[in-house]
Amino acid sequence: MIKTIIIKELQNNLYSLRFHISFLLCIVIFAVGTIAFLKNQDAKMQEYSKYRAEFRNELKETAESNAGKLAVNRRAFIWRPRANAFISDCKEKYFPNRFIYSAYNVFGFEVGRGGANPFLSTFQELNWSFIASVILSFTVLLFTFDTISGEKETGALALTLSNSIPRAKVLLGKYISAIITTMVMAVFGIVLSILIVLFSRKVDFTSAMLMETLVFLLLVFLFLSCTAAIGTLSSVIAHKSNISLLLSLTFWLVFVVIIPNTAIFWANKVFSIEHADTIGRKINTADQELRRNAPEGSNSSNPGFPFLPEHKLRAELTMKRMNSEMAIRNAYFQDMFRQLERTRLVTLISPVALFDYMNEAIVGGGYARFKKVWSDLHGYQVQFLQFFKTIDAADPDSPHWYNPWEDLSTTKKAVAFEQVPLFQEKPLSLAARISFVGNYLVVMILYIAAVFSLTFVLFLGYDVR
Amino acid sequence: MIWKIARKEFLLNLVSARFIIGFLLCLFLIPFTVAVNIDDYDSRMRVYRVDKENAENSFKNVRVYSQLRPEIVKPPEPLSIFCRGISGNVGNRVKIWLGDKPLFATGKAAIRDNPLLNSFFSIDFVGIIAIVMSLLALIFTYDACTREKEDGTLKLQLSNSLGRYKILLGKVLGVYLTILPIVLFCYILSTILILHSPNISFSAGDWGRICLLFFASLLYFTVFIFIGLLISTRLKSSITSIIVCLFFWVFFVFIVPNLAVYMAESWKKVQSYDNLQYVLQDLDKEFQNKCAEYVKTLKPPDWGNNMYHERGLDGRRIMSGSSKSMLECWRKLYEFSEPLRIDYADKKWNLQKTYLDSLDQQRNFAEMISLISPSEVFRLVSASLCRTDVASHYRFMERTRRYRDDFIDFFRDRKIFSSFLYITPQPPETFMTADEIIRIRTGGECKNLKELNEWRNAHGGSWGIILKVQIPGTHYNEYPFLNLSDVPVFRWQSENIFAGLKQVFIKVAALILISILLFYLSFLSFLRYDVR
Repeated sequence: MIKTIIIKELQNNLYSLRFHISFLLCIVIFAVGTIAFLKNQDAKMQEYSKYRAEFRNELKETAESNAGKLAVNRRAFIWRPRANAFISDCKEKYFPNRFIYSAYNVFGFEVGRGGANPFLSTFQELNWSFIASVILSFTVLLFTFDTISGEKETGALALTLSNSIPRAKVLLGKYISAIITTMVMAVFGIVLSILIVLFSRKVDFTSAMLMETLVFLLLVFLFLSCTAAIGTLSSVIAHKSNISLLLSLTFWLVFVVIIPNTAIFWANKVFSIEHADTIGRKINTADQELRRNAPEGSNSSNPGFPFLPEHKLRAELTMKRMNSEMAIRNAYFQDMFRQLERTRLVTLISPVALFDYMNEAIVGGGYARFKKVWSDLHGYQVQFLQFFKTIDAADPDSPHWYNPWEDLSTTKKAVAFEQVPLFQEKPLSLAARISFVGNYLVVMILYIAAVFSLTFVLFLGYDVR
Repeated sequence: MIWKIARKEFLLNLVSARFIIGFLLCLFLIPFTVAVNIDDYDSRMRVYRVDKENAENSFKNVRVYSQLRPEIVKPPEPLSIFCRGISGNVGNRVKIWLGDKPLFATGKAAIRDNPLLNSFFSIDFVGIIAIVMSLLALIFTYDACTREKEDGTLKLQLSNSLGRYKILLGKVLGVYLTILPIVLFCYILSTILILHSPNISFSAGDWGRICLLFFASLLYFTVFIFIGLLISTRLKSSITSIIVCLFFWVFFVFIVPNLAVYMAESWKKVQSYDNLQYVLQDLDKEFQNKCAEYVKTLKPPDWGNNMYHERGLDGRRIMSGSSKSMLECWRKLYEFSEPLRIDYADKKWNLQKTYLDSLDQQRNFAEMISLISPSEVFRLVSASLCRTDVASHYRFMERTRRYRDDFIDFFRDRKIFSSFLYITPQPPETFMTADEIIRIRTGGECKNLKELNEWRNAHGGSWGIILKVQIPGTHYNEYPFLNLSDVPVFRWQSENIFAGLKQVFIKVAALILISILLFYLSFLSFLRYDVR
């Protein structure tokens, strides 16, 4: 029986105006979004290649002139534009994407200006994730808001239930058909998008991307199930379709607009962290204390005399100053991570936010990527420092007094560029992705179960007359 | 008769669920959004005060002119509580350098304390109005004709000698009467919250701009009322009408703003800022090479030691206690380098200007596409009214560049670049030769540079001996800060009520024209509407 209901509902949906309009809108946005992505990606890659070439040139020049400077100079690692950003860009443009490091430490991260235009308003790219979270979620609500209340108004529901059909089957049939109808649009749009990517030949559609696409489709299914459950709930709460429509729209506004856009407020009010200027003052105070207590001669230097005893004092002082600064900064970075993670927990009330976070794991972007780069860069820095210490140890003209800010008392010999370890960003491993997505997935499934159960309970007591 | 219909529509709407839900939505969203933005404004004010104090301290605490690099800190715009525009993307601090013309503002206005939170967007009062009011306008008009047709009351009404235009006007007026109190309520509620906030003070001009914003809001939902009306007069069933209306709403309010910017980013290429930096660094190297070449032409000093010395960016250098010939060398170098630095800033500006122009072209392209959406037109109008639009930012940056010119003129007029006071607070009459300094500072142990060098070579390069005896008046910290009362000061005043309103008028005129056209089309459509 449930199959009959699903088929009937599907036929109704597929012939409806709402399907035609949303299908057209969806397909157009999928196509325009993918074409825009390809144009954008092309330009981004050209700029990134230029940047990497300049970066390598500078590194080569420094390495072949002075290994000490190579270790001391601060550099920025900027992450590469992701080829799978047409699935989800994870708002990486607004994320800290520049990591500052030297051989001595990883100093921090910042939001690089890169190719972003500060005179443009903040926006979301028209990728699959955006289409699913805005257009498809809206569409599925339009298919579900009157699924019960609408049929009640026309009297069809009373007629259906006068037969020996359990209410659960009716509800489930309608619910599943709304999801399938919207999934049809998603699948068509994604296939079209993939075809555009394949024909353009600007991005390699790899087997990993195919896997990501399949998992993304699974997530879209879960997300639409959740939204459809909310739409059905609205339909069961109200007895008139216009009221259930208003309820659905209110839910949609709250989940798509209000909750994600008020996260900053919750972050600042509920999970506040110290202000950056307070941290700056703390660092200054600690720094002044170290400088005040430094032994006499710690501020003297003479580049012509590497073995000057004061250089040893100076190296010890700068090392202490750097460690003191980084101890404060690292604690602050941990506060930042905690603040973001806790704020994300609050926004999990919104299925849209939940869907966005899960997408990060699927495409290996956003915060998941950030954490991976941050951790890997720390590993690389240790390796880089070890490399420099090995070069330095082989130089008899170096006193081996490591100074993180100056090359006064370490080797100044040249080093072959080919020997210098370079940082390469590695993609997120499958285990890391599963671990990142796991909790969110559980929440999503529980969410669907809770909303649908509530809908079912309410439908059991629904007056169909 | 029009009034009677309007009254009937108003009373029907008033008791409808859509009015209650719409009103509750506003009752919850508006105070919350305004409170969030007031809180945001307060924290920006706090940061502004800290920055301002730091800037004032660093301006006052200079002993030589090379240390003098004023920092302009722009106060947060109070009207940004209503519309943030691009104020969240651009900074509020501009450092005046000789070697660079102001290109971008920096500061925490652009970057949050926690940059990871940048992945969350925020919404302002205008954003909420744009979303909710347009939705309410459509929800109140989608069934203006279709519902009455379905109920059969429309043909009943038209069976009397009642002009169709009267019915249409009555319905429009009825919807207006319904939504107007909600909009008014939103503005009054925001005003109360603002008046109760101790840190915000609006000028008379600001209140005038809020009034204009209110009228822009009315115009905005008028457009959506007519869109809803037109759709209602073109379709036969209410359900079809609402579906079409909602798709228009999603398209205008959620898709076009993102589509416009994304397309502009994709089709209007802009060079990466990091790559521009590399090109600028090449020019900096060229400048440094020229300075190095010039140094070679100078007569070498008797002793190349900088006794007390501190340096920084943009030629910042303070020194004292060095030999007379050494200080003279530095003076000559700065007399040469600083005008050259300014010339190179002009050269860099050519590249930076091209970059800025490309950013502006990209923005213009996005703006042109976004004009197809009334909600984007409304946002642009609101940003102009609240002085948080791009034009206001450009005006501010242009003022900072003009101030830099005044600042440089001040240096040139007073020939400061060729003065010792540019690099040392030590009066020239107290300058000594190298041998004099060495004799005094070593307590007579070394008579001249040769003896000092011999001693240092024997002691692993140590400076110990030179620190034996201090010479009073040779450390820069012993000198007072400069009297800077005659240095030009940057003054920023918010524009008056009429500034920057030209673009607003054009966009408002466009909204009015669209409204008239939509109403005319609705009227034509309703004349032919089959009421059976």
